[in-house]
Amino acid sequence: MDGSADNNGDLGYQNRAESVMNCPSSGMNTNPFYASAWDPVVSLSQPGNFVGSSTESQSEFSNSPFPIVMENPGISNTCHLVRYPSDSGFIELVPKFPGFGSGNFSEMVGSLGLTECSQIVNTGCPSNYKEANNESTSHDAQRQEDHQLSEETTIGALPHGKRRRRVAESNSPFDPNKNAEGEFQKYPSGESSDSAKELDEKRQKIEQNRGANSCGKQVVKQTKDNPQSREAPKENYIHVRARRGQATNSHSLAERVRREKISERMRMLQELVPGCNKITGKAVMLDEIINYVQSLQQQVEFLSMKLATVNPELYNDVERIQSKDILHSRGGNEAILGFSPGTNSHQYSHGTFQPGIPVIPNPHPHFSPAHHAILDNELQSFFQMGFDSSSAIDSLGPNGHLKPEL
Amino acid sequence: MTTKHVIATAHTRSIKNRFARRFLRSLLKMKRSNRLGTGFQSNEEIRKRNTQRIKTAADRSMARVVGPRKIWSRALLFKLRNRARIQVGLRKRCLVSKKKKVLGKEKKVQVISREPNRADNLRELVPGGDSMDICSLLEETAHYIKCLATQVKVMQSIADLYST
Repeated sequence: MDGSADNNGDLGYQNRAESVMNCPSSGMNTNPFYASAWDPVVSLSQPGNFVGSSTESQSEFSNSPFPIVMENPGISNTCHLVRYPSDSGFIELVPKFPGFGSGNFSEMVGSLGLTECSQIVNTGCPSNYKEANNESTSHDAQRQEDHQLSEETTIGALPHGKRRRRVAESNSPFDPNKNAEGEFQKYPSGESSDSAKELDEKRQKIEQNRGANSCGKQVVKQTKDNPQSREAPKENYIHVRARRGQATNSHSLAERVRREKISERMRMLQELVPGCNKITGKAVMLDEIINYVQSLQQQVEFLSMKLATVNPELYNDVERIQSKDILHSRGGNEAILGFSPGTNSHQYSHGTFQPGIPVIPNPHPHFSPAHHAILDNELQSFFQMGFDSSSAIDSLGPNGHLKPEL
Repeated sequence: MTTKHVIATAHTRSIKNRFARRFLRSLLKMKRSNRLGTGFQSNEEIRKRNTQRIKTAADRSMARVVGPRKIWSRALLFKLRNRARIQVGLRKRCLVSKKKKVLGKEKKVQVISREPNRADNLRELVPGGDSMDICSLLEETAHYIKCLATQVKVMQSIADLYST
């Protein structure tokens, strides 16, 4: 998919570049007037790919960059998406789940059938935001222009109440933009309109650096009614898109992001804690989690007490276990009575085994080597099977009498 | 050593195995130190002391296996190290100061007296939970639960192995 996407993207970019060049308004770079020409463009007209696509999670992703207000077919296909990739609609913080984010990203891309966008989208993987930062700084000037353009393009924004927040690793490229506009932060159209070269460069960069440029650019779509308010600058911006019918206030968006994060973590916990499949509600779930953690900690204490009571044998056998771990890889049981000072490279068994027997208060002074060897074998198998306690106990059957009750 | 690892099973690197190895190693160490100092206390006391030692050994080995990658493991190691040296009161002071730091950003006046949240209990349970926001607290709890479960499993199987 990526390969084909790349190819399509190339073609798309070329087309866009040409269309850009052919635009009547030539003063693309610094012309706010040009922005008006871009108004329709802002709604990235991806031909019908994204309209009405998908699920909720994807809707954020898909709908945002593709306002349907396309007037200029030639221009519409331009670069809007160059900025897109930063939008992956990720709710999670980038640094936290880079893998997770990228996974979502590709899924979304794949499902949407994006061609040109996929490339960009893929490049906008959160794990690569840092690179994007470095690269984005080079496009500050363009961004400023973009912002101007974007401001105007918002008029032609999507009919949906979509809004996108920008995810930005670096504040610097955006700060001047923010100052300039005060509202819109990202507009892909502006940037894309700059020049074909830029598009190509961007595309290449995206291809190479995965979101190098895109991170700097973000698509913001706004309805005509809602004023866009930026989120307070944070260290790690989260790219969020408002869904249809939801408030687009920056505060509510932030809260929604936070809530979704929390609910996602709660779902993870639900899987971990046994017997919580039917519980709905954070409060009850939290109580269950607390109880479970408490019970686990109590179990650890109880088991440590239990281990303390079987002290002496445990200590003896621990050495053997250690030596077993090392020995078994050498080809199994060397019937060396459980300890092989010559062969065992384990430091502990060397120093401690021999003096151990006479000194340690051993309730079984008659611990014969034969038993040791058998025990070692069992321990070895015990460990190899991943501590399957049942099997260990079974194998210990014949030796059970060696362990008297304390 | 390398050949052994190569021959070893594929599970060698799992948390369970790593924890088991470390735990057993620490038990050995404990045994050695036990050997040196026994004889002066009653069996009961010895057992209690060993209980605590085993528990700390288990916790420490678990935290080491996890490494400094998680907040709770770092906090746990820190706590264990401090416990060995300083008094309990000092430890509480450290924890309290952590709370102050966290809350200081939000409200400078109130320190600890927030509305008692349900998550506060969880914070007490998870090591290092005082200085985490809810989001990361849940994340850390998930990992902590996973590690606790493996710890219990390993200790259970060791105990079963030696007490039939």
